[in-house]
This record gives sequence, C-alpha cells and structure tokens, in this order.
Amino acid sequence: MATTTVTITLSSTDLLSDELALSTTATLTKPGTSTGVEYTTGLSRKKINATEKGSSATTIYTADDFAAIPYLYLKNTNVTVGNKIFIYDDSTSGDPTWLQLDAGDWGFIPMHGDKTLRAYAPNGSDPILEFMVIGTDQ
Amino acid sequence: MATTTAAVTLTSDLLSAPMSISATTTCMKAGTTADGLDQMEYGYVDIASGTAYDIIGNTPTASKASKLYVKNHSTDETYYVSVVLDAQAIGKLYGGDWMFIPADFHDGNADIEITATGGTNKICYALFHEGTTLVAS
Repeated sequence: MATTTVTITLSSTDLLSDELALSTTATLTKPGTSTGVEYTTGLSRKKINATEKGSSATTIYTADDFAAIPYLYLKNTNVTVGNKIFIYDDSTSGDPTWLQLDAGDWGFIPMHGDKTLRAYAPNGSDPILEFMVIGTDQ
Repeated sequence: MATTTAAVTLTSDLLSAPMSISATTTCMKAGTTADGLDQMEYGYVDIASGTAYDIIGNTPTASKASKLYVKNHSTDETYYVSVVLDAQAIGKLYGGDWMFIPADFHDGNADIEITATGGTNKICYALFHEGTTLVAS
C-alpha cells in the first residue's frame, strides 16, 4: 500500500505576543478507511493564459475524475505580486470563485470531487500554475 | 510588520520513484511584498453532527488577502466535515485531514460554514487576514 503524507507548518514569531508554531501531518487515505490512496495525476505545470472565466480557462480538475475525496495541491510559481491565478468552479451556476493564488501562494484541499475546476489569470501575466490531484481513480 | 510563513511538504511512494514536493509562502497583505498579514482568528471547537455552523462569521474584507486553515482532529476515520465557503461546498475533511487555502472572500457574506457527519468532530481552524467586517451585537 502506498503511503502519502502531507505536512503543513504555520509559523510566526511576531504575529502574536507568543510564538506561533503549528505543524501537523495528514496521511492521505481512501475515505473512511486507513488504506492509502493509490492514484495521482502527477505534478502538472501549465501556463495560465486565459484572463477571464470561460472555455479558454485551463481545466485543472474534471468533475468526478476521481472518487471522493480527491486531494488537490496548487502553487502559483510566479514571483511578481499581483500576478494572481483564480480557481473557479465551472460546474455551478455563476462559476463561483474558490481560491485566489497570488504570486508564490500555494493551497491544499481535500475536495468533494464533483466539480470541474478551471484557472485564469486576470491581469494577463501568464503565470505558471503547478498542480496535482491525488486520490482514488474511478 | 508581522511575518507568518506557511510551508507544506508532500511525500509519497505511490509512484515508481519517490515523490517529494515542498513549498513555502509568506502570508502577505494584498498587493505588497513588504507588509504581512497581521490579524488572525483561531479556534478549536467540537461540532455536533448534522447542523451547519459558521466558524468564521466576521467576513474578511473582499479583495484583500486571506489564508484559511482547517483541520479535522477527529480520530475516527469515518467522521468528516464539509467546509462551505460562501454557500459553495469546497472541502471535505475526514478525521486527520487538513486544508490550507488562499480563500477568495469576494463577497460581503462569504462566511465559512462547517457541517459535521458521523459524530461530534473536533475542528481546529485559523484565518489569517488583513481586516474583517465585524458583526454588530
């Protein structure tokens, strides 16, 4: 069985009057079990050309491509502040935006998996998005 | 200014070669590399099964930077919570899972709502932000 772990460390010495030091690790498993997930898209790297929502936006996950729950990792590799990448739900009326990744930002989220997600970069800076989905294929 | 960093490391042996990915970001206010997020909300709560609760009711200012962290500390792996941002179900955290996102609080009503399933789930959450709209008493 494959073992996949993901660790987050949140730290600050001056946000609070005491030091903030939070670190936790999750082992990625099939829902409701201790069996490790077995499939991944691998790490992808794509230039985000679209400047608005629509058919030209980059698809980063297709609804129900994985069984619930797929784990999504994202990183905006751009280094210039303001060169944001927006991630939106293309399956829901109104295309609601979920995330806004500014330069250098990353995100990790266990998803329901039933929505198609697309990316666009509103200021036309063509930032590069790294992303990966890990989960159970179906 | 406050300096808060968020780092992630993902390792796996599910490919034919070991995989290891790391990323670190400094949590900055929108539009700057010189001024870090200087406000936060933090909580550790039990959430009973079945009812939706707002864990973040003071909406972060739209178009500003916000980072949301949520962890399900439940030890029963069959328990889970659904995380809803502005009426959109975005995350589903089983016992032990966590999420960290630069959330898009584009709307004045974009609260964070959690619904627990399976039993009483223990949830830890933190929101790093640069201002919220406080709810008048």
